[in-house]
Amino acid sequence: MPGTLGALRSFFSTQYDDRVAVDDVSFALEPGELVGYIGPNGAGKSTTIKMLTGILVPTSGEVRVAGLVPWKQRKENGRNIGVIFGQRSQLYWDLPLVESFELLRAIYGVPSELYRRNLDEFVDILDMGSFLRTPVRQLSLGQRMRGDFAAALLHSPKIVYLDEPTIGLDVVAKEAIREFIARINAERGATIILTTHDLADVERLCRRIVLIDNGTLIYDGDIDRIKSEYGRFRTLVVRFCEPVERPQLDGAQVAEVDGSIARFRFDRNLQRADLLVRQASERYRVEDVSLEEPDLESIIRRIYVEGYGGRSKEDAS
Amino acid sequence: MNLEPYVEFAKKAFSREATYRIEVLMEIGSLVLRVYILRALWTALYAQNAAPTNLPLHSMITYATIAMLMSLILEVDGTRLIREKIREGTIATDLMKPISVPLYFFSDGFGQTLLHALLVIPSLLCALLLVHIDVAPPATFAAFLLAFVIGYGVNFFLNFLMNCIAFWTLETFAAQLIVRWVSDLLSGQVIPLTLFPGILGRIVFALPFAAIYSTPLLIYVGVIPPDQWAASILAQLLWLVLFAALSSLVWRAASNRVIVQGG
Repeated sequence: MPGTLGALRSFFSTQYDDRVAVDDVSFALEPGELVGYIGPNGAGKSTTIKMLTGILVPTSGEVRVAGLVPWKQRKENGRNIGVIFGQRSQLYWDLPLVESFELLRAIYGVPSELYRRNLDEFVDILDMGSFLRTPVRQLSLGQRMRGDFAAALLHSPKIVYLDEPTIGLDVVAKEAIREFIARINAERGATIILTTHDLADVERLCRRIVLIDNGTLIYDGDIDRIKSEYGRFRTLVVRFCEPVERPQLDGAQVAEVDGSIARFRFDRNLQRADLLVRQASERYRVEDVSLEEPDLESIIRRIYVEGYGGRSKEDAS
Repeated sequence: MNLEPYVEFAKKAFSREATYRIEVLMEIGSLVLRVYILRALWTALYAQNAAPTNLPLHSMITYATIAMLMSLILEVDGTRLIREKIREGTIATDLMKPISVPLYFFSDGFGQTLLHALLVIPSLLCALLLVHIDVAPPATFAAFLLAFVIGYGVNFFLNFLMNCIAFWTLETFAAQLIVRWVSDLLSGQVIPLTLFPGILGRIVFALPFAAIYSTPLLIYVGVIPPDQWAASILAQLLWLVLFAALSSLVWRAASNRVIVQGG
């Protein structure tokens, strides 16, 4: 439908589609755990976080956070949790950073001794001394993010939700944030749910991941397990001197052919890479070969595209 | 309940408003101008024999000038934050905190109000250069202040309810504009409600808008005599309680259906 006409039509008759955002996503966390909660855009991650924080009421099912029902005991739950959104600051835009902290101290009723101790520690670890008195709107993204971390943790919450905390940050800032998260988890024993699209965050920080797609749980377990399951498969990338129609190698599957580049997937237990390389150079004129080891990123990408082929979610949970 | 966070909210709102210095000065200027225009208007109208019998010209000018000063405080809509926060999705972070969110909006609005209340004095002094207003006896002034404070509450809840519409439609500008026009006219801010004839007059006095401007102003200029103060203030209180109850219901329904934009 053309733009103007379409806009006019939708002005008069708006259709709403009911969509199930999350369905049967069941998982439990132990105190002090640090879990990566991942899934593609629109999978239902934020919806889950909203239910855990008590700002969204589920139509059915049960949510308990440290024994509380978040939307029924919103304020009590609020004391237990700290939330960080990479894309949305909770600092007060017009105020100097430290005044946001003071306001939060009043909101959570943090005893002044604890406040002092936490603030000093965060200013030290996150290196915030130079911009503590700067209005938030003048901070760089990296500085603002550090400020947001301190703000969310000033009241020493037992449970912390991190929603894409490293988004848009440069590599150095990312590493600083990751180190800080690891430290909060280790030293303070905070239970952390980390939502991110940067799987390097997860690989660096988590032992366990919960993977959802289309609002349903598709994997819940150790990163190591998913890696060893999928990690059997390596990929041999062959660049031919000229384009080859239907290249084939015994003991490997063709994963992708793009002009003169072909990707072969093979099981490391059944086939050796050097034999494949020899085979390839005997059959075709080969310019270059390389070997891709599976990393979490490529594993997750395959699961997004092909679905999780491992065990069913019943025995995964 | 621990009031400290709310005191802090009010303080922050006060200092935030105070940073807009030019706007504040403009506000005083525009107010003085409007007072002058109203004086000219009412003087001309009274000269045309359009005068109501129960309100002599000096009372009318007093009424119009004090209505202007009141609007300095009453037109601060602290709850417009609700609308903005829903549009931007930042209401989510407020709802995650262990605070009463409506009370947060009230204290923020109150902080803004306090700054504007400070403007009343210089505005009054400037206005006095241009117009003469009647000074009410102390008892009348006290009754006026009490009625004004209750009216402030009614006004807060009215704004609160209006801005809560954003939970359902996300866009409330049109609804707010309509209510603003209706309320300007029917609250007695522009013209005293005693000027509405016959049955219309009875209706406008029965509406909640009258509690905002009309009741305190008519007490001040003496149209409501001392023996009717109690009844008038009681009527205001009734609206206050009713609106507060309605707001609490609406808030409960609203917070159960937060749609946070994006994310």
